[in-house]
Amino acid sequence: MHPFAELSAYIDDALDPSAKAAVEAHLGGCAVCRTRFGELRGTARLIAALPVPVPSRSLAPRVSIPFWVAPIRTLATLASGAALFLFVASAVMSALPFGTGAGAAAPAAAPAPNGPAVGGPVGPAASVGVADRGVGLPASASPVGGFSGYATASPVPEAQRSTQTDATKAVTGSAAPAAPRGDNVTATPVAVVYSVPERSQFGPSPWFWLVLAVGFGALAFVLQRRLRTR
Amino acid sequence: MKSASGEASALLVERARQGDARAFEQLARDVERPLYRHAVRMVGQVDAEDVVQDALLSAWRSLSSFEGSSFRAWIFRIATNRALDRLRSRRRHPELPLDPPNEGDDDRSWAEPAAPGPDLVEIAGDREALLIVEQALSTLPAEQRAALLLRDVEGFAYEEIATITTVEIGTVKSRIHRGRLAVRNALVARGWKGPAG
Repeated sequence: MHPFAELSAYIDDALDPSAKAAVEAHLGGCAVCRTRFGELRGTARLIAALPVPVPSRSLAPRVSIPFWVAPIRTLATLASGAALFLFVASAVMSALPFGTGAGAAAPAAAPAPNGPAVGGPVGPAASVGVADRGVGLPASASPVGGFSGYATASPVPEAQRSTQTDATKAVTGSAAPAAPRGDNVTATPVAVVYSVPERSQFGPSPWFWLVLAVGFGALAFVLQRRLRTR
Repeated sequence: MKSASGEASALLVERARQGDARAFEQLARDVERPLYRHAVRMVGQVDAEDVVQDALLSAWRSLSSFEGSSFRAWIFRIATNRALDRLRSRRRHPELPLDPPNEGDDDRSWAEPAAPGPDLVEIAGDREALLIVEQALSTLPAEQRAALLLRDVEGFAYEEIATITTVEIGTVKSRIHRGRLAVRNALVARGWKGPAG
């Protein structure tokens, strides 16, 4: 009787010594069993030689990384994108001309803060406004930048304005043609508020959103590196 | 005598058992590919990654209960059980059959192929032979397939396979032989006449 059932165990060296000796003795005199033995051994080698599939990604769980890192990374990425969008949106909005378009070029006259103007018309001061705005309010009245949205015109001290007006006259000559001759501008306490057209303010400055976007982006990058660290 | 890698692995296992997550990650990286190739042939490529990840996570959670001598055999036991569970779940919700339709405990696998094909001795080792083997493996009963893969691909001893699959060693011996013979029959049916040389 052929020991077919023992051949695989014999190939795998899983027989006890006596059974192994019996199979070896039979194989020596049985061509059928030798053929079968060769086929089974060849089959085992073919199975061992099968191509090795490789996973498409690492399958080892990252148990050393706190569970909250991945969701925080995702949230930081989304927040960065949202802040970037807000930055662009608010920058565009602040660049659009809003408010009093007609008064954009004309200074507005205002009464003196200490009461009605005494002894002098407002007109002359207002008439030199264009020049004054260029000379007398070089910094304080100018917008901080394209994104500021604020344009604060502060009243100019009287003495300073007087000097400015004189200087304007000296420099521009005909810059104030409407000013009455002999009008004592320096003696007339007039407060003029130069109104720069206001722009609508939509939330914080765009730069705030940009800083936020960069901050969240950096956070997402760091967490991503942490997640990828193997 | 333990090899250097075996000692390093034992050290990693001990550290992981004490809660060292990085030690476990190293262990998991060492076994993920063998586990994956086993899972692919057990449940197919679609579910294999899930099975392996599930098994590794389960191993991490129950690592404190590991008291055996072989971490590799232990993790293969978990993965094999997961794969068999997945196949049983499929059988409850059938898409593919778990076992071939004529599966039984009789000894039909001993039978010679009815009509051997043309002489194709040279297919041994060729791509065609490997395709036949792959196809024949996929038609084996899951338990036979598991035992055969654990032996011929992963190189486990019969005793280890008995532990992994929680059956008697005689059953392991029978499953391996029947599985191997069924693959051999599939090859012979296509004209294979044994390994060349």
